[in-house]
Amino acid sequence: MTALGVLLRYGWRRHRIPLLPMIGVILAFEFVMTRMAPAPEDVNWMTALLSAVPSNLLQIAGGDIAFSTRGVLAIGYGHPFPLILLSLWAVRVASGTIAGEIGRGTMDLLAVRPVSRWHLLAGGYLVLVAGVVALVAAAWTGTALGLATRPIGESARPFAAVALMLALLFAAWGAIGTMVSVLRRDAGSAIAWTSGLIATSFVLDYLARMWTPMAPLRPFSLFAYYRPQALVISGISPPDAIALAAVVVVSLVVAAAVLRRRDL
Amino acid sequence: MAAVPAAIDTHDLSKRYGRLDALIDLSIQIDEGEIFGFLGPNGAGKTTTIRLLLGLLTPSRGRALVLGHEVAGPDASWRREVGYLPGELALWPTFSGQETVELLARLTGRPALWRAELVDCLKLSAADLKRPVAAYSDGMKQKLGIVQALQCAPRLVLLDEPTKGLDPLIQDAFYDLVRKLPGRGTTIFFSSHVLPEVERVCDRVGMLRRGRLVNLGSVRELRQSLPRRVTMVFADDVDPSIVNAFGDVRILGPRRVELHVAAGQVRALVARAASLPLEDLLIEAPSLEDAFRELYR
Repeated sequence: MTALGVLLRYGWRRHRIPLLPMIGVILAFEFVMTRMAPAPEDVNWMTALLSAVPSNLLQIAGGDIAFSTRGVLAIGYGHPFPLILLSLWAVRVASGTIAGEIGRGTMDLLAVRPVSRWHLLAGGYLVLVAGVVALVAAAWTGTALGLATRPIGESARPFAAVALMLALLFAAWGAIGTMVSVLRRDAGSAIAWTSGLIATSFVLDYLARMWTPMAPLRPFSLFAYYRPQALVISGISPPDAIALAAVVVVSLVVAAAVLRRRDL
Repeated sequence: MAAVPAAIDTHDLSKRYGRLDALIDLSIQIDEGEIFGFLGPNGAGKTTTIRLLLGLLTPSRGRALVLGHEVAGPDASWRREVGYLPGELALWPTFSGQETVELLARLTGRPALWRAELVDCLKLSAADLKRPVAAYSDGMKQKLGIVQALQCAPRLVLLDEPTKGLDPLIQDAFYDLVRKLPGRGTTIFFSSHVLPEVERVCDRVGMLRRGRLVNLGSVRELRQSLPRRVTMVFADDVDPSIVNAFGDVRILGPRRVELHVAAGQVRALVARAASLPLEDLLIEAPSLEDAFRELYR
């Protein structure tokens, strides 16, 4: 087995215990969302409410689409609950990858082996992405199972694009968290910094949608590139996907460059 | 025939943290098959040296070659033949002992040829290895640390305070093991505070003080370079100043004096003592501990 393979197994061994219940919880959440979503015949009365809702609040909910079966199901992918679960995973694994090993002292045992520092970084990040993919796949499975057991005229297929972009969003947060981890010497400070960045970005996106003077700042939030309601209507927007992918690449390149030179 | 490279070869190796010089211009060569003791008080730079030799730290100046490979170079394959026991050993608490040593052997990329022998020598049972490390005592963790450092039959092993937490019987077994390793082609870099153990197992020692190498030589040379402690007991009252010329005289009791005499002066002192009413004469070689105290006073 290659060094990277050993590191992937090691990462899985370290993080599998919290991942498994998280997979179950996110699947259950999206499944419940399908039970709560209004059937198409129940949606009509909701459209009457639209005229009474202020436009900025409507924007936060995702626009007109929010008041439809598909729109309510899409809210399940932008709801703080799954976003917090995915953030917990990304922050936990990213912070543990470099800063956590250094802070605990176990980096001494790993870094003296014939393993390049890039491998240490890549091993941790790949475990993180694998977990993100598993969580997002579980969320989509929850939606698919729900729609299969409650026929309300919706297909799970449009939600695959939402799930894909959700995975890309947290792959980007994971890359940023990994970069932060490379810059710190203990997991605690890496967790604090990465959590702070995610929370600030979320609040920035929220305020920029609510308050017109802040709207120009919205592109600085990663959450601006993930719009579940737009995704269920028109699929993946290439500029949004490219923006998130660019964050992944830049963060990992910076992390690798810093890790190559830093003292462990 | 090409010369065998030194196991460790450093040239002006230095490390600076901000305004603090942790290591200054260390130049040493340690041959393959040697047991090299590395001594110094806390903060002398021992651990910094080891971390520089393993590539965990980047030198501020100078270079280090380990098993003929540039430590700072991009090639990490030389680490396959190196074992390391950290001074502050940290393990993964949820892993069992067995999982820990297997993971580290797999990462080393060499078969764990010596694991069974080490486990036996250090009295680690199969049941111990199945338990999570969180349930281990400090001594058990140290044993596991020794196993992971030596299990893949390394050509060079760096041991930082290896007997910390081990009981005396296991320490003895460990010393016996260490003494056998050069015969199997392993070079040992042995960093310790415990001077009797260094004296017991090492061929040569280096002493650090405030980041500088202040002494380098064989244990025998080091001991010989120091004054002998001579105790003289007289049968009658004798004026102690009669032996003042050989060293500072300390009166231990009536008719009993002690003095420290340079190795080259011992013969002359004995000749002088023959003319005195001497009842007993004790000449002691200094221990490494004496050398250590002398250097760090």
